[in-house]
Amino acid sequence: MLNKWGLCVFLWAAFLSLPANAQELAEGIQAHGFLSQSVVRTTDNNVGGNSDDELAWDLRELGVNLSWRPNPDWLISGQALARWAGDTDEGELRLDYGFVDRALYNRGEAQIGVRLGKVKNPYGFFNTTRDVAQTRPSIIMPQSIYLDQVRNFFLAAPGISLYGNADSDQGALSWQVSSIQPEVDDVDLEYMTFLRDLPGKFAGRNSWLGQVMLDRDGGRWRMGVSLGEMNMRYQPGRSPPLDLLGGTHRLPTWVLSVQHNSEDWTYTAEYAQTQVIARDYGATFEDNTIESGYLQATRRFANSWQGYLRYDVLYLDRNDRDGIRFASSLPGAPAHSRFAKDWVVGVRRDMDRLALSAEVHRVDGTAWLARVDNPAAGLVRNWDMLLLQAAWRF
Amino acid sequence: MTERNLRLCPNGRVICGITLLLSLILSPGLAGAVDVIANKNVSVNSISLASARAIFGMRQVKWPDGTPIRVFVLPDNHVLHGAVCKERLNIFPYQLRQSWDRLVYSGMAQAPSEAMSEEELLNKVAVTPGAIGYVRKVKANDPVKILNVE
Repeated sequence: MLNKWGLCVFLWAAFLSLPANAQELAEGIQAHGFLSQSVVRTTDNNVGGNSDDELAWDLRELGVNLSWRPNPDWLISGQALARWAGDTDEGELRLDYGFVDRALYNRGEAQIGVRLGKVKNPYGFFNTTRDVAQTRPSIIMPQSIYLDQVRNFFLAAPGISLYGNADSDQGALSWQVSSIQPEVDDVDLEYMTFLRDLPGKFAGRNSWLGQVMLDRDGGRWRMGVSLGEMNMRYQPGRSPPLDLLGGTHRLPTWVLSVQHNSEDWTYTAEYAQTQVIARDYGATFEDNTIESGYLQATRRFANSWQGYLRYDVLYLDRNDRDGIRFASSLPGAPAHSRFAKDWVVGVRRDMDRLALSAEVHRVDGTAWLARVDNPAAGLVRNWDMLLLQAAWRF
Repeated sequence: MTERNLRLCPNGRVICGITLLLSLILSPGLAGAVDVIANKNVSVNSISLASARAIFGMRQVKWPDGTPIRVFVLPDNHVLHGAVCKERLNIFPYQLRQSWDRLVYSGMAQAPSEAMSEEELLNKVAVTPGAIGYVRKVKANDPVKILNVE
């Protein structure tokens, strides 16, 4: 593993030594990047390190990208990312995306093209740039739709995408359909599906994700549907009874996204359902449907200040929203680990490339907490959280 | 029905007139205060609103004759940037920023080039083939052409 502090200092230095307009490296070549650091304190439970009644500093993101457009029909892009989030992500440098984009039809206001390589997955409004603080609606993503525990599964994957854009005077339509092989080497995902870290590991299977987004009237209304089916296979590392038999997970999913923008206000609502269908494990897993959604109002004030209020709900099983059935079938498993209702209020100030934010959460439930940082026995149902963040981009 | 329409019409005109008057008072110096400009070798003299949004939104990357488009903008908080967004593109500046960031940090498009001043922007558009940008008002001997957004 890379020395996280060394890497951090190196990239900070690289960023700061760049002149203001260094994005344009040469004709058709651009570099961009981002950096953020958050501080967390919680009344109970851990987020971004040991935050329970102390300050946790382990929420950090760092990315640099390069793109080259040799001519209008070709684009080659790649981004390196390092992310820290408690014990779930420890700053390992990785390829966030890297692909070749070829326009097949490129005339006037309409384009159709193909992207080949590791491509970001459009899922809801914010998934593709969820690690870039400035593009998020708050310091941490609405966990209902953008659950950090399955982040890598949904974020980006090697494959092929077909996409299109069409602008008309009434609005802009964009779409992308991808056939991908998701990356699922995450311990988080095992906790999410098996409630523990098993000896084997998941491998991605052929999956697909698509999105259609319509921007009406210059984006005053934005409406989107994301749809797909994510698939993976569990490969046991040991023989039973020390491990499960091999099996497969299918996750058909959809998200509805609606946003209204005016000069001062943005209202955003997203709602999603994801089915979890497990087969062939030699043990019975009941199929269930994850149901989630949030509503957010953002108000822009003078001098680039903004304030936001959000209510965010996640139910890991829509037929057992309070988790009681789950808790009674599994001794020692808390019912509140099956849901989370999160009120968030926050402020943000943008100063050119820098953004400073602060937000407070009041949460009922523990469904989206990372299990690696939070053993089930220590989970507390009602908890509060304060987050502060400084973010910079170029 | 006809009678009702007749009765409504004068009221409608009054409301219309008041709205127009108010909008003139409330936006001093904004209406018509910004011209979309292009390099002189650009082969078109006018573009549609859809095309203007697609170009400044970094989705349309070539002119009808195949020349690559180079987009030049001023910083987000520059008064002229606000004016071109609202007046010519009919979009809020914060939305343009959000859509650039979405594209740039997912690798799906490149960012526009940023000029620090109106003068620098004008000069860059003048010397860069395929360039598009905007200025307060084009003067008679400026080495750029005006693009009508229709």
